[in-house]
Amino acid sequence: MSQQSLILPAPGQGALRSRRLLEVLGAVSIAATFTFLVLTQPADITNGLASGSTLVALGGFLLGAILLIVGVLPTLPTSTLVLIPVALVLNIALGQIMGSTGLPFYFDAIGTVLIAVLAGPAAGAATGALSSIVWSFINPTVLPFAAGAALIGFLAGLAARHGLFRRFYLAPVAGFVTGILAGVVSAPIAAFVFGGTSGAGTGAIVGAFRAMGDTLLAAITKQALISDPMDKAIVFAVVALLVYALPRRTTLQFAFVRRFNVLAGKKQETPDA
Amino acid sequence: MQARLNPLTALAAAAATAAITTAASSWAVSLTVVLGGAALAVRAGVAGRLAPAASVILTPFWLSLLIMHGLFFPEGRTVLAEWGAVRVTTEGLGFALDMGARTAAYVVVFLLFSFTVRVPDLVAVMSARRVPPQFGYVLASTLTLAPAISGRLTRIRHAQESRGLVVRGGPLPRLAAARLQMVPLVLSLIQEAGDRAQALDSRGFNGPMARTSYREVPDTAAQRTFRAVALLLAAAAVALRISGQWPEMQWPELQWPGGVPA
Repeated sequence: MSQQSLILPAPGQGALRSRRLLEVLGAVSIAATFTFLVLTQPADITNGLASGSTLVALGGFLLGAILLIVGVLPTLPTSTLVLIPVALVLNIALGQIMGSTGLPFYFDAIGTVLIAVLAGPAAGAATGALSSIVWSFINPTVLPFAAGAALIGFLAGLAARHGLFRRFYLAPVAGFVTGILAGVVSAPIAAFVFGGTSGAGTGAIVGAFRAMGDTLLAAITKQALISDPMDKAIVFAVVALLVYALPRRTTLQFAFVRRFNVLAGKKQETPDA
Repeated sequence: MQARLNPLTALAAAAATAAITTAASSWAVSLTVVLGGAALAVRAGVAGRLAPAASVILTPFWLSLLIMHGLFFPEGRTVLAEWGAVRVTTEGLGFALDMGARTAAYVVVFLLFSFTVRVPDLVAVMSARRVPPQFGYVLASTLTLAPAISGRLTRIRHAQESRGLVVRGGPLPRLAAARLQMVPLVLSLIQEAGDRAQALDSRGFNGPMARTSYREVPDTAAQRTFRAVALLLAAAAVALRISGQWPEMQWPELQWPGGVPA
């Protein structure tokens, strides 16, 4: 009866371009917020709560994270999309366990990095931001860190794309560098929104720097530079272990893995050896 | 009463309260918000779940604030006690109180939202508002997957224990035991995700067509007005604070006659 086509129409070029625009706007929003916070340097937050900076940090980072999600999510293939809830549960479960131990690490990015390695930087960034938003249903204090989590996913995807997961010893190095950048981006959030870090272990480190007379932002940034690179190096190494434990049939389902030769295989290793 | 509240109304109320509390930035306002949130939680019957959830988040945070600002606060001038590098100052304790109360308000308000909202309603409302359906899928799927995964982890541990896994000893055996549990868990989850992907694809999940929903979420004109007013108020508070025009309340401040002591 009906002449309607049963095949779903492909998304038009215009829709694709507007998605790209959203992604770029999201990244610009995060970068601009960070630049603003660094340039205005509301360093003496301890003399007043500087809630103007708090609001700018919250608003700018959250807006960027939401734009990234709206831009990236509809472009992901279903095989990647169904992995995101799995990744989020891994993030949340491990993050909660680590948060309760009192050690100065977080371990809340294993799922995000796993997705980034299998599906690329855009999927990684969206997963990181989504992870913070969904986790905030259980623990609202992680919501403001959405931009930092998105950055971790994006950088992990870039590392995978450039072959840093093909050698086992390169993955922790990539994690270390990612941790430095992510720590620097997250420190203003911890300082302006919460006035400190949320774990007892990280709090003691910040206290030690404060005792030497640092400003709060400087102390938290230094703490982040101690905790984050170590944490992300371990996380990247764990993800490398996990990815190589997966059957190749599973990993090769992902177009990103096939296209950029993300994982070392027998074929890739022979010319090097 | 609770069931008739549109999820967007609750979300707007929570977001506006959090924004206004942040803009106000005074421990008195924050504590009022915490008490108000607690009263609403009791009325909604979620206080029994909210109190432990909030205390698990807030207790380590408050401890951390006390260690950080209560003991070390180089900007503090009124020293209450001093042992070597440790200086307890009024300003440090005040700052810890300000930050602790503000975060408590934020945590209570958002936990109240997430514990009272019905996730299927929220997802239905969002897809009606042209939020990508993938977002609703991820949200609902994660929140339902979490309990299932903890059950799966218990089964895997039992299975490995029946094969002789004993968790004890130093860090290396513990790491090996963690690997023996993590790898099967992640493998089975990824395998299942692949199965779900085929099921979703065969039902046209990723198609660009608009979808209809069986679920009707009630919305009233009064709620729409409330949402608009709440968001306008929050925007006004944020604009006032960022532009520096916020009317400062006068709190009794310590005055230093003859200048600030060095």
